[in-house]
Amino acid sequence: MRNLILLDLILHRKFLLPFGGIYAVWVGFYASRVESPRLSVFVSTFLCCIIPLMIFTREDKFKAAAVSCSLPVTRKQVVLSRYVLGWAMMLVVYAVIVLIAAAFPGGKLKTGDILSLNSIFLALAFLTIFFSILMPLLVRYGMVGMFAFLIGLQVLGAVVLFLSARKILPFSVKGIIVSIGRALASLNAHLGAPGYYLFLVAVLLALSAASFALSLFLFKRKDL
Amino acid sequence: MPNILEIRNLSKDYGDFKLKNVSFELPRGTIMGLIGPNGAGKTTVIKLILNLIRRDSGTVRIFGLDNLGDEAAVKSRIGFVHDTPLFYDRLRLKNLKAQVAPFYEKWDENLFQRLLREFDLPPGKIFAKLSRGMKMKFALALALSHDADLILLDEPTSGLDPVFRRDLLSRLSAIIQDETKSVLFSTHVTSDLERIADSITFIRDGEIVFSTGKDDLLDRWGVIKGGNDLLTDETAKLFKGFRRREFGFEALTDDAAAARRRFGESVAVDKVTLEDIMFFMTRGDRRV
Amino acid sequence: MMDNAIEVKGLRKNYKGFSLRNVSFVLPQGTIMGLVGPNGAGKTTIIKLILNLVRKSGGEIRVFGLDHLHNEAEIKSRIGFVHESPAYIEDATLNDLKAAIAPFYGKWNESLFRSLLAEFELPADKKFKKLSHGMKMKFQIALALSHDADLLIMDEPTSGLDPVFRRELLERLSALMQDERKSVLFSTHITSDLERTADYITFVHEGEIVLSKSRDEIKETWAVVKGPVEQLTGERRILLKGIRTTAFGFEGLTGDIPAARRAFGSAAVIDRASIEDIMIFMDRGNNHA
Repeated sequence: MRNLILLDLILHRKFLLPFGGIYAVWVGFYASRVESPRLSVFVSTFLCCIIPLMIFTREDKFKAAAVSCSLPVTRKQVVLSRYVLGWAMMLVVYAVIVLIAAAFPGGKLKTGDILSLNSIFLALAFLTIFFSILMPLLVRYGMVGMFAFLIGLQVLGAVVLFLSARKILPFSVKGIIVSIGRALASLNAHLGAPGYYLFLVAVLLALSAASFALSLFLFKRKDL
Repeated sequence: MPNILEIRNLSKDYGDFKLKNVSFELPRGTIMGLIGPNGAGKTTVIKLILNLIRRDSGTVRIFGLDNLGDEAAVKSRIGFVHDTPLFYDRLRLKNLKAQVAPFYEKWDENLFQRLLREFDLPPGKIFAKLSRGMKMKFALALALSHDADLILLDEPTSGLDPVFRRDLLSRLSAIIQDETKSVLFSTHVTSDLERIADSITFIRDGEIVFSTGKDDLLDRWGVIKGGNDLLTDETAKLFKGFRRREFGFEALTDDAAAARRRFGESVAVDKVTLEDIMFFMTRGDRRV
Repeated sequence: MMDNAIEVKGLRKNYKGFSLRNVSFVLPQGTIMGLVGPNGAGKTTIIKLILNLVRKSGGEIRVFGLDHLHNEAEIKSRIGFVHESPAYIEDATLNDLKAAIAPFYGKWNESLFRSLLAEFELPADKKFKKLSHGMKMKFQIALALSHDADLLIMDEPTSGLDPVFRRELLERLSALMQDERKSVLFSTHITSDLERTADYITFVHEGEIVLSKSRDEIKETWAVVKGPVEQLTGERRILLKGIRTTAFGFEGLTGDIPAARRAFGSAAVIDRASIEDIMIFMDRGNNHA
């Protein structure tokens, strides 16, 4: 598995370093301009997640998977190495973004806000959710599928909001958002208790495991 | 106009590769095979004919016209297949055809559709989904569908099976029957050329080594095999290229009859193939 | 008993519009097998199934006596592969690709790899995308030959390569075979290459194995029969495949030379069939034109 990780790093470094670098600076800058720590974390983690996914889709773009899978590895090792590398990259990029956000002068956020335990948890939660959903999509549908999903979601969101504003929908979107907000707020209120943290961690791990299992299942069946 | 294509002193300098003074003719109603090792300049010559790259010097006359001065007129009568068929991947075959066909006055839609059927190419299929061989077939279908007077093929059969190759060869032979059209085709599958080419042009390191009739070539040249003792400095000069092996030598001669007279029974004189010629003249222990 | 490098039994694969049916053949250790067949017959599919790039629908594949799924990584560490469409990360250099790939193989031989690169005239610092198709194939071949693989699996390794390099590659493969533990499976359209080096030939046609025999046996069994049309009586017709009649006469393929000799006598000319002949006649099928 170490070889697989090194393989990805060696072959993609020319793309990764400039792309990742510029990306991190840009996101870091934006993150420092946003007032709400939660929003900042949300946006940063989402964009963070894109970086490993972009790397993995490059293989899809060049159709190079046939070569990696002809090497002495099993499909399981390939998927596992991608999850490990993906997580390592996301954490590194997030750390870089936080540092840059702190370094930018005139930022509205206090570093203390971003580095609080709650914020870190939030970041981990977002990373897990994004990565866990997008990885199986990527495995099954490739780059096109992943973008189709993301763009599709946005379009769907825009359509729903539009219809809701025109009062065409039977339910109130605002009402749903408010109740989700309340649920998260109550979650937040409980966050002090250590048991609760453990519970959340367990949920995140379970989500990751389910995502891994799904990705593995899909990848084993993929004809290259 | 006896020659469909006339090339004189064509040169192109790329720095690390130079095409030098290339000259040859392609008579009407004939098929010429262009052979040479990878990197010898075959694709460069074809691109220069099509003016895809600018020549440094020399002239290229096609149908008696200058390929630069009358570029559009010339190209409307040329059908070409490149070694890597590049079309916009995401379009369907029928759309790709719709892009290309209007450029040719003599586009024959019925013929094109028939070719698609014969080559087993569904018009609604997306180009990216075709195998390499099928991409070639599509490019061929386009090239053959506008009554072109000159057909230029750069490695058209790479990736195509013998069945299709033989079919292609018989189509090409049929096309030149009326004596008004010609075919220039560069390929590595020399056995195909042995079957249908009228003439062979051999390029090596950017220069023409010979351009001559195929039958004449294969009749006059030969492969000599004999004991190593027979291969002296003096006799080596008689050969175009040779190879010493443990059990004896093999050498290429451009005059098998003379070799027979010279060596008599002490050597075996075999019929030569184009592959032999290429091999000895590029990799032999000595080349001329 | 000779071990088999590859054993395929009842292999099946279903795609929309194409299926591989009941494919069975054996590659004995220490031999070179050529895989031939028209485009779309299933050669690449068979190779991809052996390498588990594509999931089989049924059947069994054993490589070096091991199950190809259970022992996937172990088997692949002993296989050198060449794909018909070389696909690597385009803007990586050859050095990068080697650095990424070599560590996977315990028996990687760096000096051999460097000497192959030099011999094949491949500049190590060149980006993969800048190579011509032939050079990309050569690069794959260099990689495949550089880790003392016991089995070479090559799909159209010589496409885009000139006759000179092809001949040299074949000579190199023959030389490799001096070590009887090594075996080669290679698919090609250039059947003249096979006449020169293959020990066994396997024909694939429309998803099925039509023939899998030693080259010597094929030479002794298959021939092209040609003669005047009048000589093609009903009885004699049955013996031939892929018959074609023209103004000049008929031609057909027989899989039983002695029987053909008895039936035709001097009425027809019987010549040993080349591999290309067999492919072409088989492709015509049993159409009695």
